[in-house]
Amino acid sequence: MTGYAELQVATNYGFLRGASDPEDLVATADSLGLKAIAVCDRNSLAGVVRAYAEAKKLGFKFIVGCRLDFADGSPSVLCYPTDREAYGRLTKLLTVGQMRAKKGACELVWSDLVAHGDGQLLIIAPPEDLNAAFAQALRRAAKEFPGRVWLAASRAYSAQDLKRIAALDAIGRAAGAPMVATGDVLYHDARRRPLQDVLTCIRHGCTIQTAGLRLEANAERRLKSPEEMARLFKPWPEAVARTLEIAERCRFSLSELKYEYPDEPVPPGKTAMQHLTDLAWAGATWRYGEIIPQKVVHLLHKELALIEELGYPNYFITVHDIVQWARGEGILCQGRGSAANSSVCFCLGVTAVDPCKPDHDVLFERFISRERDEPPDIDVDFEHERREQVMQYVYRRYGRHRAAICATVIHYRPRSAIRDVGKALGLTEDITAALAGTVWGSWGDEMPDDHIRQAGLDPTNPEIRRAIDLATELLGFPRHLSQHVGGFVLTKRRLDETVPIGNAAMKDRTFIEWDKDDIDTLGLMKVDVLALGMLTAIKRAMTMLVEDHGRPIRDMADIPEDDPSVYDMLCKADSVGVFQVESRAQMSMLPRLKPRKFYDLVIEVAIVRPGPIQGDMVHPYLRRRDGLEPVDFPKPGRGYDQNELDSILGKTLGVPLFQEQAMKLAMVAAKFTPEDANGLRRSMATFRNMGTVGDYGIKFVEGMVRRGYDPDFAQRCFKQIEGFGSYGFPESHAVSFAKLVWVSAWIKCHHPDVFCAALLNSQPMGFYQPAQLVRDAREHGVEVRGPDVMLSDWNSKLESPPPRGEGAGGGGLSPLGAMLEVNSGPSCSGDSPPTPPLKGEESLPVRLGLDQIRGLKEDDVKALIAAREAGAASLEDLARRARLSRRALELLAEADAFRSLGMDRREALWAVKAVAPEVKASEAAPLLAGLGLEEESTALPRMTLPAHVAEDYRTTGLSLKAHPCRFFRSLLTSLGAVPTEALRSMADGARVTVGGLVLIRQRPGTAKGVIFATLEDETGIANAVVWPDVFAANRRTVMSASFLVIRGRLQRASDVIHVVAERFVDLSPRLAQLKEPDAVLQITHTPGPRLQRSRDFH
Amino acid sequence: MEGGPFALIATDRGVRRLHAVDEAAATLGLFVGQKATDALALVPELITDEADPEGDLASLDALVDWCVRVSPAVAADPPDGLLLDITGVAHLWGGERAMLDDLLARLARQEIPARAAIAGSAGAAWALARFGEDRTVVPPGAEADWLAPLPVTALRLEPETAAQLIRLGLARIGQLAALPRDQLARRFGPGVLMRLDQALARAEEALVFRRPATPWFARLAFADPISVPEDLARASRDIAERLCARLLAEDQGAGRFELAFHRLDGRAERLAIGLSLPGRAPAAIARLFAPMLETVDPGFGIEMVTLAADRVEPMAERQIGLAAIGEIAREDGIAPLVDRLANRLGEGRVWRAEAYPSHIPERAVVRQAPLAAFGGQGWDANRPRPVRLFARPEPIHIPLAQVPDDPPKIFHWRGRVRRVSKAEGPERLAEEWWRRPPGETTPAHVRDYYRVEDDTGARYWLFRAGLYGGDEPPKWWLHGLG
Repeated sequence: MTGYAELQVATNYGFLRGASDPEDLVATADSLGLKAIAVCDRNSLAGVVRAYAEAKKLGFKFIVGCRLDFADGSPSVLCYPTDREAYGRLTKLLTVGQMRAKKGACELVWSDLVAHGDGQLLIIAPPEDLNAAFAQALRRAAKEFPGRVWLAASRAYSAQDLKRIAALDAIGRAAGAPMVATGDVLYHDARRRPLQDVLTCIRHGCTIQTAGLRLEANAERRLKSPEEMARLFKPWPEAVARTLEIAERCRFSLSELKYEYPDEPVPPGKTAMQHLTDLAWAGATWRYGEIIPQKVVHLLHKELALIEELGYPNYFITVHDIVQWARGEGILCQGRGSAANSSVCFCLGVTAVDPCKPDHDVLFERFISRERDEPPDIDVDFEHERREQVMQYVYRRYGRHRAAICATVIHYRPRSAIRDVGKALGLTEDITAALAGTVWGSWGDEMPDDHIRQAGLDPTNPEIRRAIDLATELLGFPRHLSQHVGGFVLTKRRLDETVPIGNAAMKDRTFIEWDKDDIDTLGLMKVDVLALGMLTAIKRAMTMLVEDHGRPIRDMADIPEDDPSVYDMLCKADSVGVFQVESRAQMSMLPRLKPRKFYDLVIEVAIVRPGPIQGDMVHPYLRRRDGLEPVDFPKPGRGYDQNELDSILGKTLGVPLFQEQAMKLAMVAAKFTPEDANGLRRSMATFRNMGTVGDYGIKFVEGMVRRGYDPDFAQRCFKQIEGFGSYGFPESHAVSFAKLVWVSAWIKCHHPDVFCAALLNSQPMGFYQPAQLVRDAREHGVEVRGPDVMLSDWNSKLESPPPRGEGAGGGGLSPLGAMLEVNSGPSCSGDSPPTPPLKGEESLPVRLGLDQIRGLKEDDVKALIAAREAGAASLEDLARRARLSRRALELLAEADAFRSLGMDRREALWAVKAVAPEVKASEAAPLLAGLGLEEESTALPRMTLPAHVAEDYRTTGLSLKAHPCRFFRSLLTSLGAVPTEALRSMADGARVTVGGLVLIRQRPGTAKGVIFATLEDETGIANAVVWPDVFAANRRTVMSASFLVIRGRLQRASDVIHVVAERFVDLSPRLAQLKEPDAVLQITHTPGPRLQRSRDFH
Repeated sequence: MEGGPFALIATDRGVRRLHAVDEAAATLGLFVGQKATDALALVPELITDEADPEGDLASLDALVDWCVRVSPAVAADPPDGLLLDITGVAHLWGGERAMLDDLLARLARQEIPARAAIAGSAGAAWALARFGEDRTVVPPGAEADWLAPLPVTALRLEPETAAQLIRLGLARIGQLAALPRDQLARRFGPGVLMRLDQALARAEEALVFRRPATPWFARLAFADPISVPEDLARASRDIAERLCARLLAEDQGAGRFELAFHRLDGRAERLAIGLSLPGRAPAAIARLFAPMLETVDPGFGIEMVTLAADRVEPMAERQIGLAAIGEIAREDGIAPLVDRLANRLGEGRVWRAEAYPSHIPERAVVRQAPLAAFGGQGWDANRPRPVRLFARPEPIHIPLAQVPDDPPKIFHWRGRVRRVSKAEGPERLAEEWWRRPPGETTPAHVRDYYRVEDDTGARYWLFRAGLYGGDEPPKWWLHGLG
């Protein structure tokens, strides 16, 4: 009977060395009949949790280990902790080494190991040259760790293996470090050798042709069976037997790390559960007053009992603690996630979704399940500009030794994989770039042959083929660790006794080696402290509502609910700027879904996502909602509970839309075990495991069909699950997001002025640029005024309404000003007329902030405002008192911000250049050094309106003076184009031509190669659909034009209008004509100006 | 470039951008400075090549040298311009206009597209050549009038300054010139005025004219064209002496010489020789050229001979000392022999073996230039290789071998049985998978090498190709001796 445990294995988490996933290594070790496996990446434990999870699934013995490489020339050591305390010392040791080094590196010396060596078993990995120094080091180690040191020997099939092993055996005996057989494994299967060679090349930055002896000579660094190991070590059977002895002594398991929640926030004398119960009931009183609704009482009892049973009270208390602090600081936040939509969380103030409302009905058990032995998960979004404060609080409260950010594993994606592989194979950069270019960004996109052909490359060419094959193999491999955006892990004992902590690239940031999945696997406490731009905007809007409009709205819960005028607005897709539902896809869904109650918004948020779309669930849902199709629930065969799906699919009319529903279907209808369901969820999250998703797919569909479900329905359900992929969107998130949809929609509906200013001040965020936000506000009757040195702050703000007769610029306008009054008043966007604000909610004028001026610095503006407040009232005064740089003054002038001082941009620029001379006064001729503007006035040529507009776009990205398309209307008309507003009155199927600036180009992964483009002209916007064949024939124009005319056919469904494009005219070069005619003289090869960059989503 | 659109690409701070585009690419909307990936996404059929700015500069310099035929004072104006001072030389061509036409016609014959202008100042000529009508010749003193309608960008200003002038409505040079000078100076500093004055021939401009010849270049012109081989040989000796004298004077030697015979019809016949060590002995150089002279076709006669030296590096006169005997042998003993052999047998026929980092034995040896410095790649003691490696392994028959990977006990080679008394191995070497078509590589493509000694004490290097138990039975080969 032979037995062997593999103790020296590198995974692909030892970046660019190992060429197999930890999971594959463990599974292969199991199937080869090994007794145990130990993962030993270099100075890192990044891959151990994954290996542990796989081993746990298989019931296989997994040993945590680490290969320690030293900076002081000591021989490398494989280190295995025998118990929890020794494990803690190992992580501490690695933390010490990582903190000493830059991000991603670890610097250890031998004395570190001695200091942390209690309870560790050590195998010394010998260097190539077995010299006297090594023998001495080995003797020393054996003396320092008596009975715990071995010497590794492996058979690499090099010329003098046996001689070397005999020598090792002798050295080991002499030193008292017995020899032990290891595989020094780099991959689970010999077929991974090419990939491993490529990784080596990437690591060394060389090509496969020049890598030479840096590559391994053969494919022997694979996992081997006990029999093979016994044969290879035939003269030394004890070396093989010792592996079992060592494995036996490694008793530590990662399962011992579970649930070590911090207990700070619990006051002394109380148990955590008592404290949570008190907080929850106090919160209920705060939410509902003295009389707590019966439903809430009932829910609270039930939820608290479950929390107690599962042992999670500390978790909720900790989240509450963070949220409570943020609230005290006036930082707006909202929780979401599996446990967030509970009455406990509502009462604790973590969410604003009241579970008492009839359609906010949330089933807590759905989110925390007894079967799923996993801790609850709450993500909390904070105002994006103040999130850092919250993070600092967490560090302060729990200490840096107990709180740290999770890692995010950056995986190889198609683009990076092909790039690195191409480089390693020695393909030229042009070919590699062309190949990488064929991937249109989105994940999961394979590299179809026709794409490669389109890039001008031959997919059958062996070099190309090989690069693609290897890149595909590399997909999903970890590339490096980065810090997670806001995932905190918190522990009870020192964190560095649980996981190694390293430096981040960012100063004063540290992060642990494990990512969120690992934390989940181990059941550690984690809270996501995330940033959300919309919360910033809402917070700012609430401040303006209170200060400028006098409305008592201080919390999101103060926003009135169930307001039909808001639903009316949303039904018309009048949703520019509204959270989540402002995208083109959402805008075309709104009129079809016609939301009338809160839960409709929950569905709206979740339905326009890859899952439901790929599962073809959208249309059935809409048909049922419109009453075109009966609501019935899929039924299993006879003999099973006919109503088993009613409770799962009840709220969504029998159509599964949410991730939870799909998972629940797997368990109820396909009879997945909780482990299977978890495995499925995990396999969806990583593309590496696309293969396993397929396995689950068969199981899923077979399971449902066996129980009598319609095979087609089963297939669609699984397609949907696949579609969720990494974009999975559970109901628990959708509910929290729907709340923000409601709040932002309400503000937009009733206070478009506030909405506009708040969004502008929270940029960058959302789907639209300031130009579109301003346009939308003006269409809703808001007066928007340009940035001005005397009137604007850094941010945009609301002004008191002007006395009648004063123009947009305020103050004394230059004669030009009159000519610029071209604002044509409200026109219409989208496909329906906008909703006017209600009476009594008169809009205030929005004064754009100086932050809209590109390149201007906030410090300069602060100085400017101070000078203004100190009485400066002329250009020279401002410049002198604020000590503004010439650059800042020029930026202000070029942005036309001196109008209130009576100067247009050209006059202002001429004046600015004289006030802040190019040469220092002392160096200039005495004649020029004289102060003031005592010179003959110079008449500069007058700037035309089109040139003004072009300059507005250049300096601020928008123009209040006119839309550029206005100047091309006769050209557009001559090309047959109608204004976009005319589309509304045209019939379905009509031939139509429209033209405008290209705002957005999109190629959603779910749309099978269809491209959506949004055009804007002076009357509104138009959405165009470009089918793949039309795109293929007009690729360049569609991808690059900034001013485009599209001919096609009008398509109208509900209130949604699209132009299905057939032909294009690229007018982009014409934009140059907006400028002064003289400026076009230049002989130049640069392209015509882009007034604004379109946002292109691939 | 035939057919599709073409662009040159250069890497600018890690980003690959278009460096130049041809007309076809420009028509498709591609432009200089565009990201290469964007351009390729827009125009997948774009043909690209690496930009070579240094090569461009060298070509421009070459053009400067060529222009010396027109005027002795030529300055390069990188990246793409030339400035010629033609003061006092136009009459040789019968006037400025004729001179301009002649120059452009000659450039066109060499397929170098060009625009040109003649004016009283470098600035005005620069502006008119780029922004005016092609082949403008400005009458003396009329610069201001001719430049007035041109855009201010024609003044060689900083791009940002030019853009600002345009924003102020001052788009043409005439508008700028009409402004009060003090107001302009106050706002834009002396730079704008200087450029304006330079263009309007109100201010001097110092041009840096290129030195007439490359440093290591000699020229010999003949009053009467020569063509007989004896003359060619004498000419090559004379010119070698001339150039070598200069090399000696500056303690330099050259590794390569190019001799060019310029024929009356404008074509040149070129010969080149290389030295394994830098040298400057005229006789030796002429001797190396001598055997090639018969290949020179003099056509209707040769009017000029030039000799250029390349790979020029310092080469001090050596003091021959006792301690340097090895060096002397190399430089004064073997080197001339190697040169003679190499120049007679052809480059690459004389070589030295050196270790190369590859696991594959055949590829682990490379040929090096005989006197090149050692690459530093020693032979690895842990991977012993035979003294003699066969170019082609020879098949051997093994009647008895222990599976899966023990060494053979007996083998037949060249008709005789060899009994193995000692053996070491296997050393397993897998194929270089990247040199085979994908799909044809497998982990079973390995060679297991054994070092064996037979009972007579002879040593062999054998290998087994393939593994036992695979699809095909393995084969045995002998790959080296000793």
